[in-house]
Amino acid sequence: MTGRSRPAIEVVEVTEGADQVQRPSAEVRYADELARLREADTAARPPGWALSVQAARRFVVGDEKLNVSRKFVGDPSLIDRALITLATSRGLMLVGDPGTAKSLLSELLAAAVSGDSTLTIQGGAATTEDQIRYSWNYALLVADGPSTRSLVPAPLLRGMAEGRTVRFEEITRCPLEVQDCLLSPLSDRVLAIPELTGPESMVFARDGFNIIATANTRDRGVNDMSSALKRRFNFETVFPIADFVTELTLVADEAAKLLRRSGVTAEPRRDVLEVLVTTFRELRTGETARGDSMDRLSSVMSTAEAVSVAHAVGLRGWFLRGEAGNAEDVVACLAGTAAKDNAEDLAKLRRYLAQQVSWRGGDQWRALHEARHLLPG
Amino acid sequence: MAVTFIGVRHHSPACARLVAATIDELRPAYVLIEGPADLNDRIGELLLGHELPIAIFTSYRDEERRLGSWAPMCAYSPEWVALTHGQAAGAELRFIDLPAWHPALEGRSNRYADAELRYADVMERLCRSFDVDNVDVLWDHLFEFAPDDELAERLATYFDLVRGESAAGESDTAREAYMASWVRAATAAAGDRPVVVITGGFHRPALVAANAVPLPSSWPEVPALPEGALGGSFLVPYSFRRLDAFDGYQSGMPSPAYYQELWESGPERAAQHLVESVAGRLRERKQAVSTADLIAARATAEGLATVRGHRHPARTDVLDGLASALVNEALDVPLPWSSRGTLRAGSHPVVVEMVAALSGTRVGRLHPGTPAPPLVHDLDVSLARFGLDGETDLDLDLTQRAERDRSQVLHRVRVLGVPGFHRGSGPSTGLDPVLRERWALRPDPGRLTAVIEAGAYGATLSDACAAVLAERAAAAGRDVDALAAVLFDAALAGITDVSDQALADIDATVAAAADLGALGRMLAVVLTMWRHDRIFGTARTATSGRVIVAAVRRILWLAEGVRGGPAPADLPRIAALAACRDGLRHAGGALGLSVSDALEVAGRVAADSGAPPDLRGAAFGLQWALADLTPSSGTDAAGSGTDAVGSGNGAGGSGNGVGGLGADVRGSGVDALRVVRGAFVPQSAGDWLAGLFALAREEVLHAEGVVGLLDELLSAMSAEDFLVALPGLRQAFEFFPPRERETIAGRLLARRGLGGTGRSLLRGVTEPEVVAAGMRLDEQVEALLLREGLVGGRD
Repeated sequence: MTGRSRPAIEVVEVTEGADQVQRPSAEVRYADELARLREADTAARPPGWALSVQAARRFVVGDEKLNVSRKFVGDPSLIDRALITLATSRGLMLVGDPGTAKSLLSELLAAAVSGDSTLTIQGGAATTEDQIRYSWNYALLVADGPSTRSLVPAPLLRGMAEGRTVRFEEITRCPLEVQDCLLSPLSDRVLAIPELTGPESMVFARDGFNIIATANTRDRGVNDMSSALKRRFNFETVFPIADFVTELTLVADEAAKLLRRSGVTAEPRRDVLEVLVTTFRELRTGETARGDSMDRLSSVMSTAEAVSVAHAVGLRGWFLRGEAGNAEDVVACLAGTAAKDNAEDLAKLRRYLAQQVSWRGGDQWRALHEARHLLPG
Repeated sequence: MAVTFIGVRHHSPACARLVAATIDELRPAYVLIEGPADLNDRIGELLLGHELPIAIFTSYRDEERRLGSWAPMCAYSPEWVALTHGQAAGAELRFIDLPAWHPALEGRSNRYADAELRYADVMERLCRSFDVDNVDVLWDHLFEFAPDDELAERLATYFDLVRGESAAGESDTAREAYMASWVRAATAAAGDRPVVVITGGFHRPALVAANAVPLPSSWPEVPALPEGALGGSFLVPYSFRRLDAFDGYQSGMPSPAYYQELWESGPERAAQHLVESVAGRLRERKQAVSTADLIAARATAEGLATVRGHRHPARTDVLDGLASALVNEALDVPLPWSSRGTLRAGSHPVVVEMVAALSGTRVGRLHPGTPAPPLVHDLDVSLARFGLDGETDLDLDLTQRAERDRSQVLHRVRVLGVPGFHRGSGPSTGLDPVLRERWALRPDPGRLTAVIEAGAYGATLSDACAAVLAERAAAAGRDVDALAAVLFDAALAGITDVSDQALADIDATVAAAADLGALGRMLAVVLTMWRHDRIFGTARTATSGRVIVAAVRRILWLAEGVRGGPAPADLPRIAALAACRDGLRHAGGALGLSVSDALEVAGRVAADSGAPPDLRGAAFGLQWALADLTPSSGTDAAGSGTDAVGSGNGAGGSGNGVGGLGADVRGSGVDALRVVRGAFVPQSAGDWLAGLFALAREEVLHAEGVVGLLDELLSAMSAEDFLVALPGLRQAFEFFPPRERETIAGRLLARRGLGGTGRSLLRGVTEPEVVAAGMRLDEQVEALLLREGLVGGRD
């Protein structure tokens, strides 16, 4: 359940005609909204952009007048900074804990800026420069020699040539040397193809090209970034949702949706979810409501993870007892999330349930405290 | 005849400009200002020519309450501009609000704190509809960086909107009624000349409404101090740091240094200045700030200004630009200007410098002709009364009431940082039995300045000292030793009543503490002071009780988190558990600490194979030592402690059987025997026992058979294991005082059916000559080995 491509926080409204595709891209899902925004857009557009900065901003933070939904829960100033960065000569680096909707944000920004979020490079240990810049159709290469016909452009080359936004997901999972092939495209805005001759050997970036990269701050086995590359990016940290009520509402909505899809008719209980979301937030931030500081868990306690635990809690309650999940289910399911591969985290969770729960009022907190023995081990 | 009401946000340059322009244009007969009316006959003092920022400080004390309240003013305060421009226009100046001690201002230590908190819902909706992060950004967007035309109308609309939807509280209503009566009187007195009223924007709608109702008018009375109360208002120097919202609890607009620049030189220059000072500060600290970074920051700031509809980059545009360009790694906590409040721990160093540049270090200074703050007088009186005003050397006996009082005065003066009072020696930890103090009192030219500055903290020596200590407590952060120093200073200075805010700060420091040893040291001191310190008058004070509760809780929490394999016993953390035991034993009942919770934690730690052996031993000792305190003795509010102990077994009952002790340990030593046997790992036995002996020395001694069992176990150790464990064992048995060691020795002799006394056994070899000969032989061997290079330099 750690797949990074799962959007953390999102209400996907599948539009007509898109129902064959499991998850259409943002510009397809929100085609209507983009069209409305384009129509109403009177402000100046940065060169190569599909929308003005103001309209792109409204696409992400929402606009009631144009019936544009709010797609990202977070500080509006973050969106401002991200968009302005994309209009400058630096790339945008979205960093943060897993499950903070970085990929969703990058997709939305690309859809707004370029009208296309599909020029995507997925970083990984096996990513090579070929997958980033270009490779060759070897049959044609052998037959004709290097030419534009035998050249197979990868997202970076296409983005530069067509003046569009390129997304680079999980950039720090690529080896450092591979990351560094972004250096000259970002600073000189040019990509050399030494195999070709004449003017075709240099691809100059057109207006509208820029890179949105994402990186997890807490992934195991990530590579470092060279400071040369860091200098070419503006960093934006995406934080977990700051407001409790917003997060609770989001978890409640998403969990209810998932539960309905799983055939559970009992709505999740609000007081149980409150306890669940509070627990997640405190274990995530390492600070309790009373102000006690704790060790943070090394597992990811993201909102997305809270949704999946809330889903599991609902399933457990329904299929074991025919009712909504309760605090005991929370403890049972937390063990799977918090202690995934780490006995230390399990100990931290046990300590939390034993010492940081009992002082709170409320039936569900009491029940959570009572249920602490259900943790394995 | 006409009354112009200007509703302002305190500390807003835009509002200050509006006030200046209005007064200059209308040249009113009266300028009425939201401020303490009790200062009206001394309003001239404000205009003597001070260096801003300054504050009107009001102190008050009666039998029930005590307060200090400030009305801070800086160059761009609308209230300040109203005073200066009003004077220039020849207007009569009046403060029209109730005095700070009036019950209607209860709980407000800053008269000009923002009122937004009271209108949180409306503000949130406004921020949402303008898509901005918070009220400060919204304010900049709507007023500071918007064109000045129709500013008055926009302000009125804004405050009508905010105020319109919510009812004023009782205290606001009382203040507004009072202010309205001043307005009526001034209008009548002004005849056909204009009157200008400057108040917080939230009051404006009410004042306008009240003015529409014709009522008889006469100058309102200034409420007199209640019978038996002491108080008054004075001017004191203030500082940008205290003005800044990033620094305080009840502040107004953040970033005073920035707004000062904005007020003096306009938005472009303010933005430039901010960038310069941030870059300067960072470069001073050897952080790389390249020209390319600054260009990027500038470009981003201007881009953001365009997108957000500002003609010039506003405060957050510049800050966002700098953050984008200069921070090239992930942040641990959000940017401080995206939410309100104090700077959070873990802020990025670049961000910390940015906030410091915004805040500035300016400190105000009063004109020499200003009447001195009351503290100056109080200090002189106190020093004279206790005969401390000359140049002298003192040797005080703290057990004598009179000399102790003198010592307290001196400590208060010392805490305030007044030069010329030096303590040579005296109690330093609270545990040492020093009961004499030496002081050297010398005249110092800086004394008066220091006292005037300290005057901003309170009107009397004790109030000011309490405020300084509260500030230090707030600044302690996670540093428990710093907090311990504050608490000890409070004891020395005889400060026993502490504000709720200071208590909350103390709680916060303890709750965030990470060092068991420091917590244990502090708890031991505070517990001693709480239990029997009659000398300092700290016995059973609420403050020390609060600290004890927080520290016991935190020690238990931290103890369960310690991980580690066999290692030499860590005495400070064992001592922390011992302090925790004493806290629960001597103060637990009175302070409502739950023994059963503590026992549960101890049970888990004792049974935790991941915990270091000394801590496991100590946890078992804690269980054993507290066993007689279980709920039946009435110390515990939380019902059935036996159950809790039992469930502790369930949670941890694995491995070596340590978990199974709780319930039975109380009655007899039988189960303690089982635990000791179960936990006895030859090589780390010493460390485990050190923990046990530190916590439950007497229990070990009095339990049937434990000494015998230890003898059996130690005798069964292999020679090598014994050597490995020896240092730990020695350390463990050090916890027994000589007499008890003698008892143990006696039992061992009896166990083996040997004669002699314990004392003789302890003495080891009885013949001193033999020992001496042995030592000589050792020395010779050592020298020989060294000479032949067979051992290193160590012993």
